[in-house]
Amino acid sequence: MNFELFTPFTDVVPSFFGWLNQGPMTLTIFLHTLIVLPMFWIYFSEKKRLQKEQ
Amino acid sequence: MANKKVSVWTDIQFWRRSAAWVTGFATILLIWLSFDTIGQITMGTNADLKNGVDKRVPAATVINYHIDYKMNKKRGHEVPVIGEKQLFFGKEWSPKDAEALLRLGKLTEQAKNCMDCHTLLGNGAYYAPDLTKAWLDPAWQKGGPMQGMTGKNTVEEAMAEFLQHPSQYPTHARMMPNLGITAEEAKGLVAFLKHMSSIDTNGFPRNFSKTVAQFKAGDTNAH
Repeated sequence: MNFELFTPFTDVVPSFFGWLNQGPMTLTIFLHTLIVLPMFWIYFSEKKRLQKEQ
Repeated sequence: MANKKVSVWTDIQFWRRSAAWVTGFATILLIWLSFDTIGQITMGTNADLKNGVDKRVPAATVINYHIDYKMNKKRGHEVPVIGEKQLFFGKEWSPKDAEALLRLGKLTEQAKNCMDCHTLLGNGAYYAPDLTKAWLDPAWQKGGPMQGMTGKNTVEEAMAEFLQHPSQYPTHARMMPNLGITAEEAKGLVAFLKHMSSIDTNGFPRNFSKTVAQFKAGDTNAH
């Protein structure tokens, strides 16, 4: 059994998600990055708007 | 103006936009994932089998082949290996007949509610043995107790015999009840089980049919 964080791609049918999901953390880290990064932008743009309003 | 103190965290607009982004992103992701899955679970064709193209779910005609279960070192678990041609109930089934038989098996499996007690591909119960790889169970092979019990010479005939008269054969403490399965339905069910065993399930169920002694010795039934 292989418990490494990153394991070689061994799926029968290759796919983008199969490639992302080869380790226990890869998909999680990727999706959280994609979700959290734009939230920084939302935060700062809202901050700018609030400062302008006041 | 730029350094004016504002509270973004208590601003409803910030939370509204964040929620919209997360929900929207997750929705698109799930739609994409659904289409991605279709490619993974689409049944192969008879031509794929002939040309040795690996499919997660092989064509119905896989019942015409010998199915083996071998340890794959690279993947770290056992995988079904489709081998040489092998007669199923004494004949080779055409793609049309094989599909019809498999369909009958699926409908019977649903009608008799096998999942009430058994598990199939991760769905069902664990009151009775997991059926996902039942076809490959050594107990049903030549010399195995289940095949010997029925007095038949092939896995398919032994399974079909058992399914028609399950309450006649002493198996587990919890014996299978007689469900009124006909001879034709039993054939379909066996075809369904053989096909299911050929599906690449990423090694599920783990440690399939290992005895306690084998498990301790690190041995496996995958030959």
